Amino acid sequence: MHLLRLLAVSIKRQFLEWMGWRAFLITLVVNQTVAPLLGLAVWSVALPGSTQIPTYYMALLIVQLMTVSYEQHTFSNGLYDGTLSHELLKPQPVVIGLLGTNIAARLLHVLIGLPIILIVGAITSISFAPVAPRFIVGVLLAIPAVLLAAILRFLFMYLLALSAFWTERAHGVAGFGETLAFLLGGSAAPIPLFPQSIRPLGELLPFRYMLGFPAEIASGSLNEVLQGYGYQVCWIGVFALAAIFAWRAGLRRFMAVGG
Amino acid sequence: MKLLRLFGAIFSLSLKRELTFRAEFIFQVLLTATAIIAGIATLGIVYTQTTMLGGWSLGEATTLLGTFQVVSGILSTFIEPNLTWFTSQVKNGKLDAILLQPVPSIFLASLGSCAPLGLGEVALGAILVLIGLYEVGKVPTATGILGWLVMVAVGIVITWASRMLLASLAFWAPSVELDVLYQALWQCGRYPVSIYRQPIRFALTYMLPVAFISTIPASMLIHGTDLLQIVTGPIVGAGAIIVVQSVWNAGLRRYTSATS
Repeated sequence: MHLLRLLAVSIKRQFLEWMGWRAFLITLVVNQTVAPLLGLAVWSVALPGSTQIPTYYMALLIVQLMTVSYEQHTFSNGLYDGTLSHELLKPQPVVIGLLGTNIAARLLHVLIGLPIILIVGAITSISFAPVAPRFIVGVLLAIPAVLLAAILRFLFMYLLALSAFWTERAHGVAGFGETLAFLLGGSAAPIPLFPQSIRPLGELLPFRYMLGFPAEIASGSLNEVLQGYGYQVCWIGVFALAAIFAWRAGLRRFMAVGG
Repeated sequence: MKLLRLFGAIFSLSLKRELTFRAEFIFQVLLTATAIIAGIATLGIVYTQTTMLGGWSLGEATTLLGTFQVVSGILSTFIEPNLTWFTSQVKNGKLDAILLQPVPSIFLASLGSCAPLGLGEVALGAILVLIGLYEVGKVPTATGILGWLVMVAVGIVITWASRMLLASLAFWAPSVELDVLYQALWQCGRYPVSIYRQPIRFALTYMLPVAFISTIPASMLIHGTDLLQIVTGPIVGAGAIIVVQSVWNAGLRRYTSATS
């Protein structure tokens, strides 16, 4: 309860702080929309007439904005310039501050991205009418998947950002992770369209469960939804344990820099 | 001539500095290779579902992607290291150091340092072009190769010009940071412009010069040289240089330096 209150305060503070960077935030949002929109353009041309593709990529665009994570900037940079020591002195777990920043950024990404989402939706003229009941079920089933994906993507980026304790190249490590998430997460291509030989790999690895899985449900692929939730929970467990372990091990190495 | 010598000196200094950190070097090469492999894999997956993408076959699209990587590599080697976060140089007055040098400021501001590791991307891109051509199964003509070289050069000049124009914006609107936006739109060059719908395609060809960095050079290599384009290309490039020069000078007249 106490932690939740601290988290709420942190979100509010970070929200206001981000608001001071509105102009920059807009460019960040546009940057986040590029991969899903490129996917939409490419796949609309590759599979003309498919009704699932526009819905899938619209959903992916929304998921991308809702799960955006910048821990390599918000955490690793603080470690490099020594300001992490300020966070360590506060009477709250360090991760609460990071979570607050993360959630505030996601709220603002969705808010700022809303016009883009609406415009793209209008241009691609997605028609929900013929599939309406199925669509509503899909959206309802996608909600838990998005929440789990949001947790998973935060844990993943946080774990990569923690590499800053051991290496100066946390940004490179995070970039590597993002490339993998782009390729195997359903952004480059929806996992169901992967060639038969690598599809099981895409379904096993965690990346699909950070991005593509909720979008697949929302666009009407309702098979094996429960199994997908299961994968999400398992991967969250794995990454949470890894992050806790890495945090403890890293903290023992940490020496505050500067003065 | 003097500028060329200076450019050579800047390059060799930067190269020495980067080679000092071997682990960093290997790590960067790995990162670049992963990014390029991800690009190829994406194309590969798309072409398992279709044989043509906007009128381009797999081999042709690979050639185009390779061309895109070549120009991207040049951008990240020579231009980005200078112009990323250029706005802050204008805001905090660090631009003074450039203006005081006995070399044209536009040269030092845009090409004053470089990151030679980016050339790895150029090399990998060139390999990709060759793989694409092999896949197409057609030996390009001599004029086709010449056309590709000329149009890649024009693409680089236009890239430099557009990046400079964006940086010069800092003189008028120092609070606007569009670096991330530029990099985002740049990614549109990965695919032929023919896949985009009409208003966007027009914008990517004539307003944001994304078509110049990949689609136009690659189509020269594949379909042979288009005489009209090979004449107009350099003219557009020269025009871009003149525009940048005059905008830069106008911007400098507004630059007031910062206190202290």
